[in-house]
Amino acid sequence: MKHLIITLALITATLPLSAQKGLRINEVFEGNIINEMAMHESLVKGESLEPFKLKVLHTVKFTTGNSARDKVEALFKEDMQGRLSDENDNLELEYRDGHLYYAIVQIADTKKGLHRYICYQCRQETGGNSITLVYMEGKASLADLRKTFKKK
Amino acid sequence: MYKETNIRELLHRYMEGESTQAEMKQLKEYFDGEQDLPVDLIPYAQMFAIIEEETPTPSTEALDKFSEEQVQETQRRLPLWPFIAAACIAAFAVILLAPPQQEEENMTIAYVEGKMLNDKQVAMQMGENALQEIFSNGNQEEQLSELFNEQ
Repeated sequence: MKHLIITLALITATLPLSAQKGLRINEVFEGNIINEMAMHESLVKGESLEPFKLKVLHTVKFTTGNSARDKVEALFKEDMQGRLSDENDNLELEYRDGHLYYAIVQIADTKKGLHRYICYQCRQETGGNSITLVYMEGKASLADLRKTFKKK
Repeated sequence: MYKETNIRELLHRYMEGESTQAEMKQLKEYFDGEQDLPVDLIPYAQMFAIIEEETPTPSTEALDKFSEEQVQETQRRLPLWPFIAAACIAAFAVILLAPPQQEEENMTIAYVEGKMLNDKQVAMQMGENALQEIFSNGNQEEQLSELFNEQ
């Protein structure tokens, strides 16, 4: 009985991020690539995101060396294989010096029909590579997100 | 010899379920031995022909053995209550442990260097800043492009 209760509790706790499961970059969000102590992470779900037509927004930001940068970039590129298309409506990316500089990629929708996006940015700073990784899902189109978050 | 009227009376008692064993025996003997039966009694003769003379009565030993087997059979059966109790506990656990849908859908958490911050605004701001940084990338290029074009 004790095992049953623990199992049920774990299943319940992991349900909210089930859509993000299966992505390679989840390794980064879970702290398997970069130590959690070196990361800034935010996870927002539900009503707070309604103005942005989003349901889930999960971000991590950290500064790291080239080796970890390469690992994170490789994981992100693997997830990019699941992109909807190379059309501008579903994809935006830029390479600098042979590495991914930033990318906004729409991947397959959730089972409930919500759009899913993964984003990556790597800026070179004095302390190393400042990497930002984002997972989000919701009804917002890429055009909606550009309109909302692009600084004018 | 049995008188016909007496037989009819016994038959009536038999059909009403009031016959004794002795009366049933009388009827059986009558229908087995009588050759010249009235027409309306012939079906009864056929009926008594297939009825055994005496209903076998189980012996006391047989009854005791049967009772013992019944008791053992009852003892062999697994009690149901532990299973019912387990099912009830599992049902309560599911209801109590599963958070309400509304709570599950709303979550705002921020971790800074491994420490959880109970500040929804900070978490929200961190998320928005990350998106603004990423989505403004193309913008910088466009601005530079526009700048060069103007020159």
